[in-house]
Amino acid sequence: MALIVGTDIGGTFTDVVGYDTEKRSLHFGKGLTDYGDLVNGVFDCLSQIEIDPAAVSVLKHGTTQVINILLERKGARTALVTTKGFRDVLEIGRASRPLPFDLTYRRDPPLVERALRFEVNERIDAKGQVLQPLDMEDLERICRRLEDERVEAVAVSFLNAYVTPSHEDGAAAFIRARLPHVYVTTGAEHSREWFEFERSSTAAANAYVGPRASHYVQRLETRLDEAGFDGRLLIMGSHGGVLSVRRAREQPVALVESGPIGGCIGATAYADALGLDRMVAFDMGGTTAKCALIEKGSFEIQPTYYIGGYEHGLPLRTPVLDIVEVGTGGGSIAYVDRQEHLHVGPRSAGSNPGPVCFRRGGNEPTVTDANVVLGRIGSGAFLSGSLSLDRDAAVAALMGKVGTPLGFAAAAEDQVARGVLALANAQMGTAIKEVTVERGKDIRDFTLFVFGGGGPLHGVELARELGIRRVVVPPEPGNFSALGMLFAPARIDEIRTVRLDVTGGADDEAQGLAGPLADMEAHASAALLRDFEAEAVAFERQAEMRYKGQRHTIRVAVDARDSFDRLRQAFLTTYAHRYGRADADAPVELIGLRVTAIAAAPAPDLRAMHRAARPGGTIVRRWRDVCFNTGRLRTLVLNRYDLPPGFQEQGPAIIEEFGATTLIGPGDRFEVGQFGELQITISTAAGLPS
Amino acid sequence: MTRQNDELDPITADVIMHGLSAVPNLVDKNIARTAYSFLISEYKDYAVGIVDGDGRLITQSRGGLPIFVANALSAAVGDGLAVYGKRRLQHGDVVISNHGGTMGQHLNNVVMYTPIRTGEADDELLGFFAVVMHWMDVGGITIGSCQSPFTTDVFQEGIQFRTVKLLAGGERIEEMFRMIAENTRFPKLVLGDVDSQIAGCLTGRDMVLDVAARYGSNAVRTSVERFWARAEAATRAVIASIPDGVYRASSFLDDDGIERGKPVEINVRVVIDGDEATVDLSEVAAELKGPLNAGFQGGAVAAARMAAKYVFSPDGPANDGAFRPIKVVCPPGRFLSAGPTAPIGGSGFTIPSVVDTILRALAACLREHIPAAHHGTYSVHVIDGRDAHGQLFQHIESAAGGWGAAYDRDGGGPFRSMAHGDTMEVPVELQEASHPYLVEYARLRPDSGGIGMFRGGLGLEKAYRMMQPGRVTTSIERTACPPWGLEGGGEGVPGRVEIERADGSREVLLKGEASVRAGDRVLLFTAGGGGFGDPARRSRKAIAADLKQGYVTHNPSSGSG
Repeated sequence: MALIVGTDIGGTFTDVVGYDTEKRSLHFGKGLTDYGDLVNGVFDCLSQIEIDPAAVSVLKHGTTQVINILLERKGARTALVTTKGFRDVLEIGRASRPLPFDLTYRRDPPLVERALRFEVNERIDAKGQVLQPLDMEDLERICRRLEDERVEAVAVSFLNAYVTPSHEDGAAAFIRARLPHVYVTTGAEHSREWFEFERSSTAAANAYVGPRASHYVQRLETRLDEAGFDGRLLIMGSHGGVLSVRRAREQPVALVESGPIGGCIGATAYADALGLDRMVAFDMGGTTAKCALIEKGSFEIQPTYYIGGYEHGLPLRTPVLDIVEVGTGGGSIAYVDRQEHLHVGPRSAGSNPGPVCFRRGGNEPTVTDANVVLGRIGSGAFLSGSLSLDRDAAVAALMGKVGTPLGFAAAAEDQVARGVLALANAQMGTAIKEVTVERGKDIRDFTLFVFGGGGPLHGVELARELGIRRVVVPPEPGNFSALGMLFAPARIDEIRTVRLDVTGGADDEAQGLAGPLADMEAHASAALLRDFEAEAVAFERQAEMRYKGQRHTIRVAVDARDSFDRLRQAFLTTYAHRYGRADADAPVELIGLRVTAIAAAPAPDLRAMHRAARPGGTIVRRWRDVCFNTGRLRTLVLNRYDLPPGFQEQGPAIIEEFGATTLIGPGDRFEVGQFGELQITISTAAGLPS
Repeated sequence: MTRQNDELDPITADVIMHGLSAVPNLVDKNIARTAYSFLISEYKDYAVGIVDGDGRLITQSRGGLPIFVANALSAAVGDGLAVYGKRRLQHGDVVISNHGGTMGQHLNNVVMYTPIRTGEADDELLGFFAVVMHWMDVGGITIGSCQSPFTTDVFQEGIQFRTVKLLAGGERIEEMFRMIAENTRFPKLVLGDVDSQIAGCLTGRDMVLDVAARYGSNAVRTSVERFWARAEAATRAVIASIPDGVYRASSFLDDDGIERGKPVEINVRVVIDGDEATVDLSEVAAELKGPLNAGFQGGAVAAARMAAKYVFSPDGPANDGAFRPIKVVCPPGRFLSAGPTAPIGGSGFTIPSVVDTILRALAACLREHIPAAHHGTYSVHVIDGRDAHGQLFQHIESAAGGWGAAYDRDGGGPFRSMAHGDTMEVPVELQEASHPYLVEYARLRPDSGGIGMFRGGLGLEKAYRMMQPGRVTTSIERTACPPWGLEGGGEGVPGRVEIERADGSREVLLKGEASVRAGDRVLLFTAGGGGFGDPARRSRKAIAADLKQGYVTHNPSSGSG
């Protein structure tokens, strides 16, 4: 037997998906996350679906452990070693206040207190020239202090190390040799881009989470070994690929969004298979909705990630998928404020007490309750009947907390419920606009790919509102995050600040590009070989380019043989496509390169990844009243597992399956595709919602 | 509230407002991505908003500088309505104005707006989509137009575009673009920024029109009216909770740069009367000879509204409703209501001190809301010259300093002033890669926060070592009236700039210019914030922590900071 297994430790649940490559069968397991011992949860889930670790050939593991350590501030006693004159870089930051009118505003405090920030005499300038050699006596003095202070982890981050990390490397080697039990990391190990605050903050965070994260990964590995596991353990990175155990221990900060991105990777696999060049992946869960842009099978990486959000968070320069998150999910609570404005979320009823209709003690109406009121989630059909739903209680809460305070008539529950969903959709629609409109993309060109418990329920209405014509619901939308992880490739990202003026120079000067690219590729290939014993099968090479003077860059695909003229043309084309205009005469510069090296990883066969029926089986057709924006309609209700590839039908319709319900509006059409996915075509003729 | 006569249900009204409020934020990000000058992308010296057909502010972007919460958008559109009338502002027209006489802020602040129309009739004018942006240079006697501390009338500060069309019916008026290009030292950068400003206006307009097409103009208007009414009611409720009375406070600036040593008085009265507040600035100094003046809209109204928003309505987007209960009094001829030809290059520089003084007046009745003074200045310093290749370079920075302590906490920061928001410091690595100097240190300034039961936030110290000759221009303020403490808290230590020559000699440069040679150092010190409460009541734990971390180098209760 050869099993590929994905495990995802989330905030509430630990999920396991196993794919048997011989039987081509899928197995799902779910358990409550054991905060006392995260590793236990993984083993519980494996035994739940009767997977013997000895039979697993590849185990891909996603975890929220790193982000939790950072958010809960439960990391190591950490020190920072900086260039003389710059120990306050973590505390000064960029001196900005993202909440301009908050008199009490503070950024989250630095991960390293000032008393543990040490300066060493050394200096390299912006061209990489050494102005002041690294002072080893200074370092020895600092090491004694680190010992006295019982420091567990050290970040070394020097000014201009993005150009030449030699001093950082030298200092790190010295400290590692001198203090072998201390976890040591450097800024340039994580980022070869300029901006000293962001790079130092990244190094500090990595040191802060290093000892615990490293211990955790090691323990998981040991426990697996003991259980007879003979396969390869891979850890999900935030960049959309897996990391080796060794890299995960050296760069745990690269796991910061290890959990939530499995779904995006899965979406990419379907985008490739379905030939969808432009897609928005939309994942709606219990407390939040997330969306990401997938173009030509790949996603964007955020320039900078902020721990806990932009408003107060500390920055990280580690590649993280560009996901926009909004506090709207199935459990989001609808309430009316003192100014009589309706709000939906960000507070969530979560799974405990949960929505009112679950009758587990929740008394505040949620998005799920509104869906139940409208008949969109069938009473008794939630989670295949394992949970019965109380519509009357949902109606009472909705009217008591929202309808009546806003002056609606007693029998207007449908209108109020539709209003709650309209606001929830407006909020989620804004998040989708953020990944498209804000980045200069025309949203109407995109396919909406929806998953998570709530995605299929809201996807069609969101699409209609945004002018999107096509919605795709993959198989197993409720388990899609863990499932998506099965597709994660081995991937190494190299990013460097490299400056080239591509305006005036002769073409042969463009060879300035060839050198750094070759170096970065060699570096990435070596890392793949070291980490995965694998050869790179594909390189993506991109340049960060801009008009001279602009601060923001756009990414342009490049090649080592590109002439300046080709680079300029590629930039102008991309720029014009994105912003509708491009100045052909203005000077253009290149300020950074990124190389992504990808190695093939054993991935499951997409055709086997669904539980769609075979043609010719019985299709049970039921009917119930469902309220759409145009009013209540008698609506066809289907069981997804009855429907074979090729099955077509017209909305209004509801398709139910374990963990998710798909809502299809009047006039819309859908078809079951070859991979078991639902392909929904949105009607343009349908009346606009109220 | 009754609903019987309203066709629009309250939830749909909220959905409409969500849709409208999202537009300026989306356009805001798009502008940051496409603008050319770092003043836009890093400094965020712009704001995006929607005003109605009569120029009243509907909503404004979250980011951007607080100073634009003031009246920039409404003031410009108001002048446009006076000049053209609604009828001559049609679809596809794009108008700009930076007129000192009506807007009253330095001429770099150029408001651009375009009508949002569903038809040609007056009642089909839904509003205007507006973007105000700091243009890098609009001419005048100094590079950057607004940084000279010595101008004596507005004509030395650049060109004025009073309500002129850049586009008419969607067509570019090329004459105007030629005129702009010939009146700035950085035509490429400015025209690049202008392009992104135009795109922002037109994109925003179309997105608002999408909302209107979907829900109907009347529904949009009704939603806006209700939104204003509720924001107004919320502000009134806060004001009503404050005891009626007349609250006063004073502070002063060092001088106007021309009449050296003559303080610029900031005397403030805030009258709380039921659920209305009057900010009376009649007793501030008269119009100044130097460039620290502002017009009524850009000065008195801007400062009063910012203070009001900080205290009465900090959450949610700025809007006309929230400002309705606030009256602003300032007769013509004061430095915050200067005449149309007065020099206004530094119109923003005084605003943080004015806002802070208004807050100080309210400290007596809002003890738990009002902190001690922040550094209160822009402390603009400019280093320019030519690099080793003979290329012009310019580094402009407004400094970050300490913020004031409050009844329950130490002061924060270092941040820029209350007139700034999400404005980022330029990273040292980026400066060193672009400019011929080294930054030798950028660190906290120990002992600069005012002492108190809660300590003021710390200022900064920075040293630039010149590798090439150049020039330094400074506008350091508030050295004679340092950031005050409250309830017995001490003052923050004021800021200064020193030039250290290669021979070790030093000179202080507060407002002025100096040549620097290779090897000279420019040393910047920024102010700390004021302290709160009796220093003797500071906890031992806090004192020990300050000493351990080196925020304070000696026991503060044993002497002054």
